[in-house]
Amino acid sequence: MAVRRREGIAGYTFLSPWLLGLFGITAIPMIGSLILSFTNYDLLSPWSELEWVGVRNYARMFADDPHYVEAVIVTVVFALVAVPLKLGAALGVALLLNRNSRANGLFRGLFYLPSLLGGSVALALVWRAMWSKDGAVNGFLGLFGIEGMNWINEPDWALSTLVVLAVWQFGAPMVIFLAGLKQIPAELYEAASVDGASRARLFWHITLPGLSPVIFFNLVLETINGFQGFTSAYVVSGGTGGPVDSTLMYTLYLYQAGFTDYEMGYASAMAWVFLIAIAVITAIVFSTGKFWVHYGDQS
Amino acid sequence: MHRAATSHVTTRRSLLLAALAAPVLAACGTEGSQAEPESTAPVELSVFWWGAEARAKATEEALKLYTAKYPFVTFKTTWQGNQGYYDKLATMAAGGNAPDIFQIDDGALSEYGERGVTLDLTPYKANGKLDVSKFPESLWKYGEVDGKLAGVPTGENTPGMIYNKQLCADLGVPEPTTGMSWDALISWGEQIYTKSGGKVFGTMDPSADYKALWMWLRQQGKELYKGKAIGASKEDLVAWFKLWQGARDRKAAPSADIIHEANGGDVTKQLVVTGKAATSFLWANQITEVQKLSKQALGVVAYPGNPSAQWARAALYFSIARSSTKRDRAVDVVNFLVNSPEVGKLWGADRGLSANLDVRKAVADGLTDATQKTAFAFETDLAPKFGQAPPVPPKGHVKARALLITHAESVQYGKATPEAAAEAYLKEANAAIAS
Amino acid sequence: MRKVLIIALLAIVVYPIVWMLGTSFKPNDEIVASINLWPQDPTLGNYPEGWSSMDVGFGTFFANSALIAGLTVVANCVSCLLAAYAFARLRFRARKLWFALMIGTLLLPGHVLIVPQYILFKQFDWINTPLPLIIPKLLATEAFFIFLMVQFMRGIPKELDEAAVIDGCGPFQVFLQVILPLSKPALVTTAIFSFIWTWNDFLTQLIYLNDLENITVPVALRNFLDSTGQTSLGPMFAMSVLSLVPVFLFFVVFQRMLVQGINTTGLKG
Repeated sequence: MAVRRREGIAGYTFLSPWLLGLFGITAIPMIGSLILSFTNYDLLSPWSELEWVGVRNYARMFADDPHYVEAVIVTVVFALVAVPLKLGAALGVALLLNRNSRANGLFRGLFYLPSLLGGSVALALVWRAMWSKDGAVNGFLGLFGIEGMNWINEPDWALSTLVVLAVWQFGAPMVIFLAGLKQIPAELYEAASVDGASRARLFWHITLPGLSPVIFFNLVLETINGFQGFTSAYVVSGGTGGPVDSTLMYTLYLYQAGFTDYEMGYASAMAWVFLIAIAVITAIVFSTGKFWVHYGDQS
Repeated sequence: MHRAATSHVTTRRSLLLAALAAPVLAACGTEGSQAEPESTAPVELSVFWWGAEARAKATEEALKLYTAKYPFVTFKTTWQGNQGYYDKLATMAAGGNAPDIFQIDDGALSEYGERGVTLDLTPYKANGKLDVSKFPESLWKYGEVDGKLAGVPTGENTPGMIYNKQLCADLGVPEPTTGMSWDALISWGEQIYTKSGGKVFGTMDPSADYKALWMWLRQQGKELYKGKAIGASKEDLVAWFKLWQGARDRKAAPSADIIHEANGGDVTKQLVVTGKAATSFLWANQITEVQKLSKQALGVVAYPGNPSAQWARAALYFSIARSSTKRDRAVDVVNFLVNSPEVGKLWGADRGLSANLDVRKAVADGLTDATQKTAFAFETDLAPKFGQAPPVPPKGHVKARALLITHAESVQYGKATPEAAAEAYLKEANAAIAS
Repeated sequence: MRKVLIIALLAIVVYPIVWMLGTSFKPNDEIVASINLWPQDPTLGNYPEGWSSMDVGFGTFFANSALIAGLTVVANCVSCLLAAYAFARLRFRARKLWFALMIGTLLLPGHVLIVPQYILFKQFDWINTPLPLIIPKLLATEAFFIFLMVQFMRGIPKELDEAAVIDGCGPFQVFLQVILPLSKPALVTTAIFSFIWTWNDFLTQLIYLNDLENITVPVALRNFLDSTGQTSLGPMFAMSVLSLVPVFLFFVVFQRMLVQGINTTGLKG
């Protein structure tokens, strides 16, 4: 009993900075945005003109906004394609570069370079140049006799270039995988090698289970990131979501509603619908965890 | 409709929002207190604008001139590139922290003016603290929103079609002229395409550009915005989209993917700069920057059609925050910036051609740069032909402008018929500006 | 075989960065007109021009960015580690609820928080100071890193804690003697991401920093571009290339610390 209480006190002690941040900094703006989602808040009008509009913002999304529906579709397609590809690329390269050596250190840095660019202002120009009519991608395709197009400017293809961009910037999950690989106790491999296990067996029975908490983390976070996917769409389309709404990601549309159309009440409503939708998806991912994630604290 | 419901929800609303509103209400409470303009107590004004380094230098210099005159007045300047400017300005305004003086354009003036962020400068104009007597009348009037003077134009600017002069000479095609018809421009464009052997398209397709559409409508006695509605009919829009569909079919204008590049408005992606077409639909004063990016000699004429559809438009404005506690001083500073010949010389055509005609003349006489001379000459030639100015675009214009791009592009890409696009644009744009 | 594969992949992945490097040696009009890899008319001029631009110069912007990113690294590592230990290892009331709330804070799109946050920080009188960029990190508001560390800690075999408890250790000693030493990969990862993401963050830094002397690299880079007017693409590319150098070095140095984390036999004794 005393041990439990002691642990409880310790728990809240360790948690106290976070709790302070939650209540002092994070929660207030979040609750503020929730309240504003039921108003006609437009950023600029005096507060005296703020009106409670009930669920009107929420109703508008589903009943009266064709661009909203387009944004949902674009986002779901993007996330479904980009997330698995990015995680696959990250895991593949992490396994290739797992061993610590001087060369691998440099290689990791080079593979990380695209992610260092983040949403940098130069990226917009770089990406447009790569995918333009006479750019590098078409030059490469030309080697195989394929005639390319002006990818970013074609409504049917622009989103694919964003998918490639997301996959190209796979550095963050790669590093997390690398760190996770380092945490698998070496003795497990040693013991299994003594038993004469093949490399494939080692991978399936030691590497994957050992890495599963980190795979789980990457899956959850990249799913959230994939759905949020603001930066690349903003940078590549210049904030428009064009051509013809083909790169209008959910969060980009939300940003436009809030900051260029001055409908922050509506934008806040979109944000809370987003939160609920992603919470459901995340909860589903979490609930699958018990079937395939193996924690060291459960042995 | 929802306004009727306001009264009975007021208590609940005020309870819920009291916490959020408190800081801003506090700021409103200070409205009455005004620093006397005659007082010589030290005062610091915040000034905020977007631009690049050259504009920043010129602005700092101009403000130093003011400080030299009134040493007790100093400035806290903030400037940035254009990306994120309105995000920051809106955030500051929402936080009750708007800068005393800020730069704004005609896309956003109504957004800020109608919502009461900007100080109404009409009384200052009346008592002579703000002197616009040397401005063309239509120009300062273009700063009025709902009958209130929401901003002072920093300078005059006119949409200009910038074209590749060199290419015309090389191909032996006559240069476009002010007053040529839209059809003539398209035929001219076809010639460029044919004579260049298909290497260069004749003209940018401006069907997604609200400036071009507005001009075209005015030439038929209509307006883009009529009060809080779109002034064009569905038939007008269909005719406009079809005009350019025809141009694209005739190869006078490029294909949709190339047009899309330029629709963002970025000078570096304009087709006269990248060499993909022989014209770009821009602002006349942008020729100075566009020319720097191009190795070929460029020229500028008015948008096609009768030039009397043009009017003296403000390039940019300075507005003063209604929440400012130093309004009178801020007005005096703005008055200085727009009327001082020294400032005019420092700025050249960067914020449009000086609004004050005396200053403009003095600046024009002292010009040495050839491209700047072209810009000034263009405006001087055009000014006598200007027609009546329409009201500044209403609140919601920024969204309506983006909707025109979306729907015009869906025609360009063949994703929608002109009829369907016109209908969708009217419905959505009307909704955007009605509120 | 593995080397060949790695190098082939690298060629594709790094090509755009090489293009960027090449472009930084092109004059402004060539950048606009041509997208070739190598400059026709190479110039070194973009570097000095960019470096000394905006009166203050890029040296100051780099120093500002480094200071903010460095402080963020320390703040995130300390504050998130404490919270993560509580979530991963300690049993206390409402733990699952707090954990769900923590994940919840990750899900709300940030743009709707900008204005409420600004109003809040204005109440604290933090506008035009770096405080809004740093103090929240000290209070573990980056839930991403807490979750990351929780996942790593849960991978540490529980027997280690139990052994320590049997030896008479309380929660604090277990944290210091077992968990902290074994959390190195998680801390290194947190340090790397904190640094890089702060280095690249644009909007928050734009909104809270007003004075030219205080602005950071991402904000300064955009000052080269007024898309409707003066655009200095050459200096922008040059400074963008330079801005990659510190983060690249930071990464290469820190990733070396991603070494085998657990040697359980040694600890059990």
